[in-house]
Amino acid sequence: MQLHRARDEFRDAGANIVLIGQRTPSHAAEFRRQQGLELTVLADERRKTYALAGTKVATVGELIGPKVVARSLVATAKTGKVQTKTDGHTAQLGGTLVIAPDGRVTWSHIAHDASDNASPEEILEAVRAIG
Amino acid sequence: MLGISRTKQATHPPDRADALADIVLPDHEGNEVRLGDLWQDRPAVLVWLRHYG
Repeated sequence: MQLHRARDEFRDAGANIVLIGQRTPSHAAEFRRQQGLELTVLADERRKTYALAGTKVATVGELIGPKVVARSLVATAKTGKVQTKTDGHTAQLGGTLVIAPDGRVTWSHIAHDASDNASPEEILEAVRAIG
Repeated sequence: MLGISRTKQATHPPDRADALADIVLPDHEGNEVRLGDLWQDRPAVLVWLRHYG
């Protein structure tokens, strides 16, 4: 996972970074183990924070449309990682918020389809812009 | 079917994280984490995953 590889840069930029997933803490632990992550992974089984973060549930086209499939193939070719089965709500999409200490959301990326993810570089730039 | 949306939904990221601050979630070890504590002293990056895997 690219964010894991960039974790030192996030630390050096002075930011906490956590991942939030659906399902339970044991699923989070297994995911962490399988991916070899050292990042904190939180479990939001009811997806309450997904809604508050402004994420959305995808349509069929946003899950398996041609653009999504093409981007996924490119990502797999680059990383060698193949998506495994989805857990939790199948159509739930993700997103990223950068939050300043005063509670402002200074940057966000909310996925419009299953292949739409922010890059670590974009996120880091947003963190550094807080100053 | 499978909870898939029939129509495209809009995305609405918040301008402030106040509604998230007091929410407590368990981490991968079962420890409770209050989200607001993550950005209390430093910026925080919260990444919502589509799924684990």
